[in-house]
Amino acid sequence: MRKIIMISALITLIFSDTVFADTIKVSVNGLVCAFCATGIEKTFKKQAAVGQVNVDLDNKLVTINTKPERKLDDATITKLINDAGYQVTNISRKK
Amino acid sequence: MVMQENDETGHSISADYTITPRFAVGWYDKWEESGKLYSEHGPEFNSLIKRWNLPDGQANIFNSTGAGVAIDGSKNRGAAWTDFLADYETRRIFSSYEIRAMYADSIESSIWQRARIGFAPYAANYNDVATWFMLQVDDHPNKNDTLVVTPLVRLFYKTMLAEIGYSSNNRLMLNWELQF
Repeated sequence: MRKIIMISALITLIFSDTVFADTIKVSVNGLVCAFCATGIEKTFKKQAAVGQVNVDLDNKLVTINTKPERKLDDATITKLINDAGYQVTNISRKK
Repeated sequence: MVMQENDETGHSISADYTITPRFAVGWYDKWEESGKLYSEHGPEFNSLIKRWNLPDGQANIFNSTGAGVAIDGSKNRGAAWTDFLADYETRRIFSSYEIRAMYADSIESSIWQRARIGFAPYAANYNDVATWFMLQVDDHPNKNDTLVVTPLVRLFYKTMLAEIGYSSNNRLMLNWELQF
């Protein structure tokens, strides 16, 4: 039984999207509606380095979780958000 | 994006493909009512001319310009139209002004204006259904009723938007939009 639990945990760990390398919090000006949020979410989901993206309109915050061993630099984030039509005001990172 | 509008001016449907966040191309069809009965059809180019991203809001200027054909019974004429829309919105307040010029030789030549103000009773987050109460005022000199006021409710959830209203000239408004 213990062996099964350990194997299950290992499989979950390998295939889970919840194992991320970096958590990046991006403050954005101009985020007012779900259409804006969807545009940003789509943009980041296309990036190979991105595991998960969450848009919080209340705090005007885009949270990006990168995949293990993948990097997403500040310049790329700023360009993607600017190109989507919005303005980055701050980027902070947590390992 | 696909959008359909059914209001006191008639019925329209458009389908647009967004090439960049600032530019889209599409096809526009409209069947005019409440005045001259004619339809207009053609490709349309939509652009975001300017956006101001503010800490708690956003302001934009958009343009849509199209050209095609206007059909009035057995009469067909070349048609062209252009539309400028300026808006300012926060998560609780909305305002817009739109002006549209239409030229189709002997079928139609007109300028039409529309203004909207609205408020949201709560600030909806991404996973919430957003609700807006709006008041729309139309000034279209070539229609039977030149000045029309329409109170409406706008609901949207993620990529789906719907509007329902009832105009001062007793016409139902039912608009919807889907983004892909």
